[in-house]
Amino acid sequence: MVPPSATYRFPTVHISCPCDESIAITPKSPTKPGAPAVPEEDPDESEEETFDPRAPRSNFSLFPLDNLLYCEDCKQIRCPRCVHDEIVCFFCPNCLFEVPSSTVKTDGNRCTRNCFSCPICFASLVVAPTGEGQAGPYILLCNHCLWSSGEIGIEFEKPTSIAAQLAEKLKPPALARASSGSFTSPLSPMSASSEGYFPSTGAPTIITPDDEEDKRELSPEERFIGLKAHYAQQKAGAGADEYGSSPGALSRLMGLISGLGSGSRSRSFGRGIGGFSNIGGKGKVEWTEWDAVKGIGDDEEELVERIKEIGFAGTTNKEQRIAQNHQPRFIQDLRPLATILRTKRSKRCRACRHILVKPESKPTTIRFRIKLVAMNYIPALSISRLDPTTFNYSALTPLSTHQFLLTITNPLFDPINITLATPAKTPGSYPSTVTILCPTFEVGANTDVWDEALQTTANTPTAAIKKGRKTGMLIGTVWDLGRNWTTVVIELVPPLLPLPGELDEDGDELATEDDRLVQVPVSVRVVYETDLERDDGGLGKEAKEKREHTYWSVLGLGRISEKMPTTAVEDVAGPSAARPTSLVSIAGKGVAGRGGAREEAGESRANRHSVR
Amino acid sequence: MPPKQTKGEYIETDTGNKVSRKSVILGSQNIILGGKTIIQADCTIRGDLRRTVAPGQNSGNVAIAVGRYCFLSRSSVLRPPGRTHQKTFSYYPMKIGDHVFVGEGCVVEAALIGSYVHIAKDCVIGKFAIIKDCVKIEEGTVIAPNTVIPSFSLVSGRPGVVIDELPETAQEGLECRSPNHLMRSIR
Repeated sequence: MVPPSATYRFPTVHISCPCDESIAITPKSPTKPGAPAVPEEDPDESEEETFDPRAPRSNFSLFPLDNLLYCEDCKQIRCPRCVHDEIVCFFCPNCLFEVPSSTVKTDGNRCTRNCFSCPICFASLVVAPTGEGQAGPYILLCNHCLWSSGEIGIEFEKPTSIAAQLAEKLKPPALARASSGSFTSPLSPMSASSEGYFPSTGAPTIITPDDEEDKRELSPEERFIGLKAHYAQQKAGAGADEYGSSPGALSRLMGLISGLGSGSRSRSFGRGIGGFSNIGGKGKVEWTEWDAVKGIGDDEEELVERIKEIGFAGTTNKEQRIAQNHQPRFIQDLRPLATILRTKRSKRCRACRHILVKPESKPTTIRFRIKLVAMNYIPALSISRLDPTTFNYSALTPLSTHQFLLTITNPLFDPINITLATPAKTPGSYPSTVTILCPTFEVGANTDVWDEALQTTANTPTAAIKKGRKTGMLIGTVWDLGRNWTTVVIELVPPLLPLPGELDEDGDELATEDDRLVQVPVSVRVVYETDLERDDGGLGKEAKEKREHTYWSVLGLGRISEKMPTTAVEDVAGPSAARPTSLVSIAGKGVAGRGGAREEAGESRANRHSVR
Repeated sequence: MPPKQTKGEYIETDTGNKVSRKSVILGSQNIILGGKTIIQADCTIRGDLRRTVAPGQNSGNVAIAVGRYCFLSRSSVLRPPGRTHQKTFSYYPMKIGDHVFVGEGCVVEAALIGSYVHIAKDCVIGKFAIIKDCVKIEEGTVIAPNTVIPSFSLVSGRPGVVIDELPETAQEGLECRSPNHLMRSIR
């Protein structure tokens, strides 16, 4: 079991989702349940090409098994790239209240209760009383870095509905000039909520080009209100579904919004609006040019002065700045951040539109109505070291044989036949030699979860071999097997890489850090017979159906050490010390097992013998 | 179960909890362990820090309730959170669900930890933090007091913030399943 804390610790097992080859967007004719399953691809075809884990595209198709879903209708793995997400509910991750989607539309995707996070360290803020005996005024206090809203001069009269109070306090007209960075509502600029908070500043804030003479800088709210009023006006003229359906209108809208974001300090915005609003109704919009790039203006000089005054410590860092709507330069201008809502999403197969995941809509529950995850359908691979003692996965000794145990666990309720295939040399400029000692074997059915657990408490793990069913005669080829798992041995001979710092003629490193990672592509072919599913749930004869599934997985076995091989003996001595009897059986029958390997490299054998 | 040595490292309770003799358990009458929970050496569990009650009132409060299949690694500390409310300082009960793993050297002062929570080593869970089900907390995270972590979150950093969502399989992945595996590791 890989410790869950290890995010990228060797060994890793990733599974390739074939969605980039068989473009999942083209809908497949859904196979009727009950009809014999058609294999996704012609097995001969898929086996011809070796999956290259180093190909640039592979990064996008490799996922841990946990992240994969499985579509029962397509009989195919589905990765996060080939599913559609649909929002089931919005909720605030802090107060865990569900927010109706209509509220999200009107109030924006932020919590409108008392949930804020610290603008300095992003921990959540609490409402704390500053007065005597739990009395007001109240502040928002960060329990982690002890920032408080008092530092920016904001206090609240009552401890409830902080969001509304804050919006009231940050009302632009009264304070717009107080500091050069303007104030913001806690809601995103995309939201439409400002109307409720700034009812007095409505349509009149639409800026005409004349206003450019005015030195006063517009706050994002004012811009937003102007924009909103403008759209309300235009929408009224254009008819309600103009924005919903017309892609042109939408792109215009998006263009305007993104333009607003990038040129947030540009005064020319007023002109844009002015030019824009001339054309009411359905007419096409002509864009007016924006002002040229601004030089250092008065406000920038002011900023420079302020930095001189406050010092570097008073400025915001990148994260702090980006998190805020108005992108303030100074810590003084930071505002508490209203918590962004989170969603629960259901997922659909992109090819056949069947639902793969459907969570219950209550925010706090972790149950799923539908959950078709790949780990319940395809066998799981796990890697461990044959000799686990004193072994470092991130420093594999070059040119010596490393033996790993590859365990295949069957989640299905039918026994499965596994065929493993791997290229004798891993892809890449410095190939490692890989041999799977037993490439074809059977894995038992997944029966009751506690069967094994109850048995193994009493017995030693080796007792499991005795329980081996049909595979009992093949003992020695498979390393070990249990109720629904089988372990085989993989041998790896890493190449000797040039030392870091060794350069070729072009001055590039001969072996990059990437080359040092051993990534072994393994094709796993699963064949099993299962009871035929029936539409009518009828009784009929017991029909069996043969199913097949092939997928590529990539085993990250470790990292090749920079050190030269000093002694190659340790590797052989290790396993024999751990399990003397079994090793003999492997050494004796290993050759037969290797003969079964689909691709056998003669030199790898020579290599191994030389090591021993 | 093989016959125990007379003086093993672990004391096993009727419900299958295993508590190291080298752990420090204070106020054990205020602690509930759900069963099959393992408490390793050098753990400190402060069951004595319970709610202050007026004299004469029933003081049968539970300070710490731990569910089933939990695992407290070496040198972890469970401490009920306390605060001053209406001029009296009081501790509040701490509730921990099932399948909760607490890594080495963690200090936990949460008010509530749901089920299927993995706390990697060297974490600090601040006072009155609420951690919902299916949450993974990465190594060295410091969760600020009063933080709420929703389900299916991956938390990291100082202060701990949600950096990612966990996949739908989180529950299976975070299960302190294979209790035998854990049992074997401590035998």
